[in-house]
Amino acid sequence: MIAGLGLLVGVVLGLMLQPEVPLWLEPYLPIAVVAALDAVFGALRAFLDGIFDDKVFVISFISNVLIAALIVYLGDKLGVGGQLSTGVIVVLGIRIFSNVAAIRRHIFHA
Amino acid sequence: MSTDQKTGTTPVPPQVRMPLLDYVTVHSLDEDYADVAKRTGKKGEPSLIRPGLAALLVMALFGALVTTAAVQTARNAGQASEGHNSLVTQIKARTAQVDAQRARIVSLRNEIDSLQNVYLDTTSQGRALTARLDRLKLLTGAVPVTGPGVKVVVDDARGAVDDKQRVLDQDLQKLVNALWASGAEAISINGQRLSNLSAIRFAGSAITVNFVSLSRPYTVLAVGNRDTMPARFVETEHGRDWLDLHAVEGLEFAMTSEDSLTLPAAPARRLNLRHATQGENP
Repeated sequence: MIAGLGLLVGVVLGLMLQPEVPLWLEPYLPIAVVAALDAVFGALRAFLDGIFDDKVFVISFISNVLIAALIVYLGDKLGVGGQLSTGVIVVLGIRIFSNVAAIRRHIFHA
Repeated sequence: MSTDQKTGTTPVPPQVRMPLLDYVTVHSLDEDYADVAKRTGKKGEPSLIRPGLAALLVMALFGALVTTAAVQTARNAGQASEGHNSLVTQIKARTAQVDAQRARIVSLRNEIDSLQNVYLDTTSQGRALTARLDRLKLLTGAVPVTGPGVKVVVDDARGAVDDKQRVLDQDLQKLVNALWASGAEAISINGQRLSNLSAIRFAGSAITVNFVSLSRPYTVLAVGNRDTMPARFVETEHGRDWLDLHAVEGLEFAMTSEDSLTLPAAPARRLNLRHATQGENP
């Protein structure tokens, strides 16, 4: 409930402000979104498992975003940015899929 | 793991043994949630847990992040297509400009020609010059020429194995010489008009005329008296050589009289003189 409210507030804020993303930050934005998505689905699953915790959610969200961006940054410096981005996306994608599968099991009991 | 505990050694963490992808799948949920739940002893129904203000803020941050990324991507796509469109427009405009200038070149050339003709026509001397110019143009191959003549098609002998049974540059030279000798007034080989600067020679494995490589069979068109040329051809030495080549080596040779032949002009670069200027009669 409160989470949905937060999401709504965030979307409305983003749409209203439409902040200009600095050029150097632009490559990290998509990867940060995927990492955040992973943290959010993990939190939803933990909530349905009955073990959700605010602090863990905040920390996992921020650390996910930062580490994903850091890996891509490092890859860019080493000249393998594209490949590392792919690796990050694959791992996060697998996590998202298996979390969503667990959520689905909770909701539909199937 | 249990065997490790029995033997008393430090348990090996699961990620050491598990394949990486399996590990990622099994541990898709952050272990911290389970750890914290174990520590606080909180393990209940979802309805008992109330996400707090921190969760709200993080969700707001998430929403803003996703929206910003979407807006940015849409904006970038717009910019990219704008750039693309403006390039396309520029290309079209420049192409039109080039076309217009080309058309202008053509029209200016025509204008020069017509002005030249007008100027030359105004004087009798000029008229004579025009006539001479036209004749010289025909002679040197600067303009296409049409008229009756003979068509000679030559080719290598069927199943040729050595150079004697192939048409070589010297064979074509002989043929052309024989045709000149029998009264030809203009000659072309495979569409390459012979000017007074044209050479027939071997380059690599192909015969070139006007520096253009020819491929067999070779069609030689010669404008001249179509009734007398075949007979005069046979009387020339090189003509007889060719009949020998045909009879002995089996080279293909076919001469036909034609009512009307049209020969193209020689390439413009074959008509350039860089060093020769007009001299006095010695």
